[in-house]
Amino acid sequence: MSNAILDINRELASRINAEARSNPQSPYANKFVGIANGKVVVVADDLDELDRQLRLAEPDPRKCCGVEASRDYTEVHEIWRLI
Amino acid sequence: MPRAQWPLRNGRPNIEIVLTLALDGKPSPRTLLADTGAGSRQAGFDLILDEDDCVLCGGLHLFTATLRGAYKGAFPVYSVRVDLPSLGFAKPLRVVGVPSVPPGLDGIACFGFLNRFQYGNFGDRDSFGLEA
Repeated sequence: MSNAILDINRELASRINAEARSNPQSPYANKFVGIANGKVVVVADDLDELDRQLRLAEPDPRKCCGVEASRDYTEVHEIWRLI
Repeated sequence: MPRAQWPLRNGRPNIEIVLTLALDGKPSPRTLLADTGAGSRQAGFDLILDEDDCVLCGGLHLFTATLRGAYKGAFPVYSVRVDLPSLGFAKPLRVVGVPSVPPGLDGIACFGFLNRFQYGNFGDRDSFGLEA
């Protein structure tokens, strides 16, 4: 499968998140947004709904991605090291 | 309230989840280290699994998480359906896909996931449990 769809989906997800973070009035702010084949196909209130509706809209997960709009994806998370 | 308990493994707390393989829909159990030191409540992810498991279970790509500590760098996060039948839990969770997991285990249940439940030994020092 071409990576083109993945790249387009991720670019759109990035733009949606940037919009939601800069504009709290954005329709995507604090929503779970599902993207398939380069288009927004789901705007949901939680991951459960996003997952269900996005799989209905596009059964092939390789053609989909989701974004939790307004989240700061630059944050670094600590995983304590195992002894 | 439903409760599930698992014997400690090498003296460490662990839980068992059930994944569903995308290819044939068969359930596939996985044993995870129960690690309250993995991520924070706000981390935005619940589990750490081998990325192959995320893909084999038809995970939807959500975002990339940057980790430090036991794992360093940027890793994909997927939405993966996870079941804990004894607790009646069946939901998609945010799962970080990594190239390798702790030896003898299939991944890590992070604090964000454990904190959805009451957790502890519930009076049995040889086990670890979750209560919904």
